[in-house]
Amino acid sequence: MVDVIETDVLVIGGGAAGTNAVLKAADRGAKVTMVVKGLIGKSGCSIFASHLPYHDVSTKEKDLDRLRYSVRYYNHYLTDQEYCIRMGAYMRNEFFGDLERLGVYWRRDAQGRLMAITSRVPAIVAHKQGASGPIIMDKRRREIFRRGIPVYEECAVTSLLTDGERVVGATVLDYRRGKFFAIAAKSTILATGHSDYLATRATGTREQSADGIAMALRVGAELANLEIQWWHASDVLEPKAWMRFHLYPNPLMGTQETSRLYNSQGEMFYEQKTHSSGSSAPYTEQIRRLSREVLAGKARWDGGYYSGYDHIPPEITKAHQHQAKVWSKLGLDVGKDRIECGITWHMRQGGINVDTERMETKLPGLYVAGGLGCHYLGGVGPVSYDGKVAGEAAADAAVAGGRKPLSEQAVAAEEGRVFGFLRASGDGVRPIQAKLRIREIMWELGYVKNEQKFNAALDALQAVRRELVPQLSLQSTSRSWNTGWMDALDVCSMLDACEATVRSGMNRKESRGPFYRDDYPYVDNENWMCRNIVSRVNGEWRSRTQPIPTPYLTPEKSREPFFEADY
Amino acid sequence: MSPFSKQTTEPDKVRVRLYRFDPAVDRTPRYEAYEVPHTPRMRIMDVLNYVHENMAVDFGYRWLCSAKKCGTCAVNVNGSPKLACWEEAELEMTIEPLSGMQVIRDLVTSRDAFEALLATLSPTLVRKAEYRGFPEPLTAIQLAPTAHLRDCIQCLACQSVCPVLKQPDSGFAGPALLVALSELAQDPRDGGDRARLAGEVAQVFKCVSCYECERVCPVDIPIVGEAIEPLKRLVYQAGVVPGARHARAFLDVVKARGYLNAAVLALKTKGLTLNALRLALRLVPRGKIDLGKAFLKRGAPGAKVISKTYESSEEVK
Repeated sequence: MVDVIETDVLVIGGGAAGTNAVLKAADRGAKVTMVVKGLIGKSGCSIFASHLPYHDVSTKEKDLDRLRYSVRYYNHYLTDQEYCIRMGAYMRNEFFGDLERLGVYWRRDAQGRLMAITSRVPAIVAHKQGASGPIIMDKRRREIFRRGIPVYEECAVTSLLTDGERVVGATVLDYRRGKFFAIAAKSTILATGHSDYLATRATGTREQSADGIAMALRVGAELANLEIQWWHASDVLEPKAWMRFHLYPNPLMGTQETSRLYNSQGEMFYEQKTHSSGSSAPYTEQIRRLSREVLAGKARWDGGYYSGYDHIPPEITKAHQHQAKVWSKLGLDVGKDRIECGITWHMRQGGINVDTERMETKLPGLYVAGGLGCHYLGGVGPVSYDGKVAGEAAADAAVAGGRKPLSEQAVAAEEGRVFGFLRASGDGVRPIQAKLRIREIMWELGYVKNEQKFNAALDALQAVRRELVPQLSLQSTSRSWNTGWMDALDVCSMLDACEATVRSGMNRKESRGPFYRDDYPYVDNENWMCRNIVSRVNGEWRSRTQPIPTPYLTPEKSREPFFEADY
Repeated sequence: MSPFSKQTTEPDKVRVRLYRFDPAVDRTPRYEAYEVPHTPRMRIMDVLNYVHENMAVDFGYRWLCSAKKCGTCAVNVNGSPKLACWEEAELEMTIEPLSGMQVIRDLVTSRDAFEALLATLSPTLVRKAEYRGFPEPLTAIQLAPTAHLRDCIQCLACQSVCPVLKQPDSGFAGPALLVALSELAQDPRDGGDRARLAGEVAQVFKCVSCYECERVCPVDIPIVGEAIEPLKRLVYQAGVVPGARHARAFLDVVKARGYLNAAVLALKTKGLTLNALRLALRLVPRGKIDLGKAFLKRGAPGAKVISKTYESSEEVK
């Protein structure tokens, strides 16, 4: 049998959720082990945090105002409202202080007052706007190393292990060294974040291949609202490497102004204060308006429309490093020129079905924190809250409970699967080609969906599974950082996650938030304000719905045309 | 072409020579040549991605953000370190791993040595006083001296070009680590033993101020002026290590005499040792040191003016 590492709590993922889960579980006295596919705080999307919502929750009215933006504009009434109340209190009372204690500098003015972005959603930044993520994550990274917590970086978890009932650990491939090992854990926290790399144009990076969602699905976890997938409408078209560079549609610090979107004829069709004054991160409204331009032939999904700040004094934009630097690097003038944009697959509201009281899934021993849960959209603050709740619950359960032995057979079978891809031949299908094909299928499914397109996507995914996967082969059998081998493992995760996403989308017979199907072009709060769940048991897909309680906020209308709703 | 984008003539292809090396199998590195279609505004990373997607599907390269935040994609392009995500592709490129780093495979280098050294520098805030809750008293003015240092993404480009680090067993930590240390040392909240760490562990006085680090820094940090010099001052004021004694002796000699006397400088820095005497015996016949001048303590013309200049500059500080 391969090496087995024993631990109380296993945390998978090194973003804001995973790092906080590690620290909070360790605070509770548990022995914690961390596995990260990339590098702590550098991979994933937490490093992209720009400004952090900083709400006044001192009165019920103010808290409800915050709740309205969370529930209505960010989560389209699909979040857990009690969770939002608890998370809001954490954000205000613990999140900023926890990080400041570690040395994070929340930007002040010369007199020492916090510099806030004073829009509908007040926010503060670490260091400067557009640069909060690297600062926050670097401090967490260093704190984890300072405490001497065992960390396995550049190691991919390939499967979750169960004893038939409980999740009892995981198998890991150290892809730097080609070493396969297992971890036996009393509690396992999945914190693998968003799966933003699943379409041709996407904001994610190579490691974001939905491993967490796929591994949970394979051991029988339920997935909810996977189809509630956000798209960014204002990302740079070219160069391709920069398709995740985002021209923020939310206000720049020190002004109420935002970028604007223009169609191919130079007509402005979107700006935040005019078209979605209720929300400061109006991504769903942005793409809804873009879709009208596309239908009218005045823009394409991949270009033919533009974003710019030419209505704002350039010195204001230049004060915000990343925006102005992008312009200057492309040889454009931030006060005069506009950048051509394309849409990108971004984060999703849905994910693994989880009980937010303790961030537990229906599988004993498996916890979820962050963007891969179904309970909330994401963001560095909320996912840090998840990390705390999951870390503490998982640690307490682990300290109280015993460790179950791993099944040698299951570990050996997984080792066989992983090393089965390490075969070289002159021909065959290269894993990256299968990966690109899957991303193309999801791109073609796109923003405007219907029954026919779902069926076509499902057929195409099954064709990849049937025709390409058995033929996967590599150019070399190197066990050291063999990108092709990593791609082959990603293909399996992506196929499972994409198939689940398409099936879930087919089941939802309405449109909502970022999810639009032209065969059901209305929001149906009576039937679909719920968790829309899929799972796979013994190869059979199952589906069910679970109502979402609305103790504080309910939409005004039970049914309204999609293009008339503002959320 | 849109009315809003700049009109340019697009080149049609990029020629790239890629460094390939698998330490488990290969004895020596080799280079593979590829031609990649040029795309608008192409970055180095777009070239690498194209090669991975269409040609060398298993070749090893690392990137995590593609947006100048994670600092993991730095490679040598035509001999100079560049962030692959950020810099434009050149039409002829030889792409190699950063120099001076252990190669894992192809372009991927190990960051382990850097991380291990960082861990020895007490790399988190050591609070002078107990943290009293958010927001703590702090102003933009207090943190202004370290504003540029916070931009560091630890891409290690500076480490790869530092000539001191190229010396075997230099003992020098290198620019990226000094940036991290200096940010903490200059933080008004920090009470860590930064002078000792900078002097003894990081050996800051081994920096020769050649500015190579600043030349290659992709985020334009004034590394020498804003990270290293403040650390040198800190160690100098504490005055405990050879490097700082050298700086102090240098100042004292020039202040007293108005010129630099090598013999006195060496004596004050290292003390009178057998090795120093041997060295002196070799240097006298070559005219490098003048024993007469050294011990007569005669100042240069205008030495008094120089001495006064030093005194008034110290008052200004």
